[in-house]
Amino acid sequence: MNGKERIITALEIREPDRVPLYIHGINEKPIIRIARNLTDDLPEEKEIYEMDAVEQVKLLNALFLLHEEYEIDGFTSFEIGDMVNIDDTHIRDPFNVVYERSPVGIPVACEHPISDSDDLKKYRAPLPDPRHLLLLNLARDRFKDTKAIFWMMRGSFVRSWRLAGMENLMFKMFDDPGFVHDLAKVVLEFNLASLEQVHAAGADVLIVEDDIADKNMTLVSPDQFREFINPYNRVLVEEAHKKGMKVIRHSDGNLWGILDTLLDSGYNGLNPLEPQADMGLKKVKDYCGDRLCLIGNIDCIELLPDGTPEEVDSTVKQAIDDAAEGGGLIISSSNSLHPGVKPENCVAMFDAVKKYGVYRK
Amino acid sequence: MDILTTLSDSIQNGNHDSIKEQVSTALDQGIEPVVILKSGLIAGMDRIGEKFKNGDIFIPNVLIAARAMSSAMDILKPKLVETGARPAGKFIIGTVLGDHHDIGKNLVKMMLQGKGFEVEDLGINVPPEKFVQAISDDTDIVGMSALLSTTRPLMKETIEAIDRAGLRDRVKIMIGGGAVTGEYAEQIGADGYGADATLSAELALKLIAR
Repeated sequence: MNGKERIITALEIREPDRVPLYIHGINEKPIIRIARNLTDDLPEEKEIYEMDAVEQVKLLNALFLLHEEYEIDGFTSFEIGDMVNIDDTHIRDPFNVVYERSPVGIPVACEHPISDSDDLKKYRAPLPDPRHLLLLNLARDRFKDTKAIFWMMRGSFVRSWRLAGMENLMFKMFDDPGFVHDLAKVVLEFNLASLEQVHAAGADVLIVEDDIADKNMTLVSPDQFREFINPYNRVLVEEAHKKGMKVIRHSDGNLWGILDTLLDSGYNGLNPLEPQADMGLKKVKDYCGDRLCLIGNIDCIELLPDGTPEEVDSTVKQAIDDAAEGGGLIISSSNSLHPGVKPENCVAMFDAVKKYGVYRK
Repeated sequence: MDILTTLSDSIQNGNHDSIKEQVSTALDQGIEPVVILKSGLIAGMDRIGEKFKNGDIFIPNVLIAARAMSSAMDILKPKLVETGARPAGKFIIGTVLGDHHDIGKNLVKMMLQGKGFEVEDLGINVPPEKFVQAISDDTDIVGMSALLSTTRPLMKETIEAIDRAGLRDRVKIMIGGGAVTGEYAEQIGADGYGADATLSAELALKLIAR
């Protein structure tokens, strides 16, 4: 099997030839540090926006190379080139949301263009720009159908709170529910148009990326989730399925309060299953492993930054023991491979999947 | 229903409009401002904290309760000042340098205010020296939040900066957030770890009582 076949088989809850391996997200530093095992043709360690065009190409090549050499079965693509620089620390997205850059994580939304229904009436939503599919196009051409190409799409909640501010959006759930629905419809319209483009460009798997929980509980109540958020994401699931794509749901945190709703919504997979948020693989597998492919769970908060390769090896072995049977498991870290992870631990994770993940029939 | 119970219910239901009139009614009935605060407003926030800790309510419910508390305090605070009532304690709070996450920090702030603390919010991405500068004679506790494991070391650096400034013995230090644990709090020499917003506010009360 090639990587794409492996991923699709796992998402269909069937056993591939081995447990698939996947990187949900990875920062510049771990790309460079891991790729040092493979090539010397690398940029210095810095953020991509600090790199010139030659360095950016080297970084991208390193990312592709490590997917090839470590036999990572899927590749995550997302919009690039969609942000406009405002000053040294601030950028603006096509929705007119302003973000502050962070040297240690993704940019954080700090200015929101829509406060209320009056703002929304005047708001002109953007259309998805096919030029922003560059990463998807490059990955498709590079991997030539040997790896599953994932497309990361911000879901209804994240996009809505970026537009309106999180606390404001939560207040509006009580004060002006119609506004919250109208905002979600604007987001959905953009996402459906984007889905057309990414499907035409060859994406195999849609990731509905919509963080909705912290390590203890969902950020809004399950009832609010069912009223204001899930119906709009569910349309994406249905439309992607009509196009023959698989759909996985990404949300950090403890999702037990809404897991039944997610199961009912038709997702093929769930990611990233943080161990610190009570999303242990065995527990989730026992509950719904016959209906949902489990993706992630290898701890990137303590284990990958501070553990040893031996500890990573045994954690991956345990994960496979707990959840590989019958298919429906894709090994990945419990969130992005961030600048704090040790490269040797990432390599240990990649190697362990191949060591322990072969299905015996 | 007596007016103090009405006030507690209004906090819990987030009735930020009607609560102002209810506070005025309580004052007209001759109830001491500090009693209105403790037996009406704080009693309501205590119930909110308990329900949140138990997973019975969610962040939006805490937000509307805190908004109602803030509305009530618009009326009550001048009366409290007149009568010389003092806050439970003074708490400085912020998300450490490099970390821009503030939901958890804001929830802790609301719960602290719900316990009667005066809270100075330094915001997000706060460098160690800003925490140090914010400490004044009446500061009781400094609270730091970090969601990212990459920003966690800034908590230790901030504690060291407070120590270097000769202020470590004057304040208690609490940490919280997705990236930290009670064990980590001990490792870096913090006085306590708040596992969630409600527990953080309860711990703050315990720390100032010592």
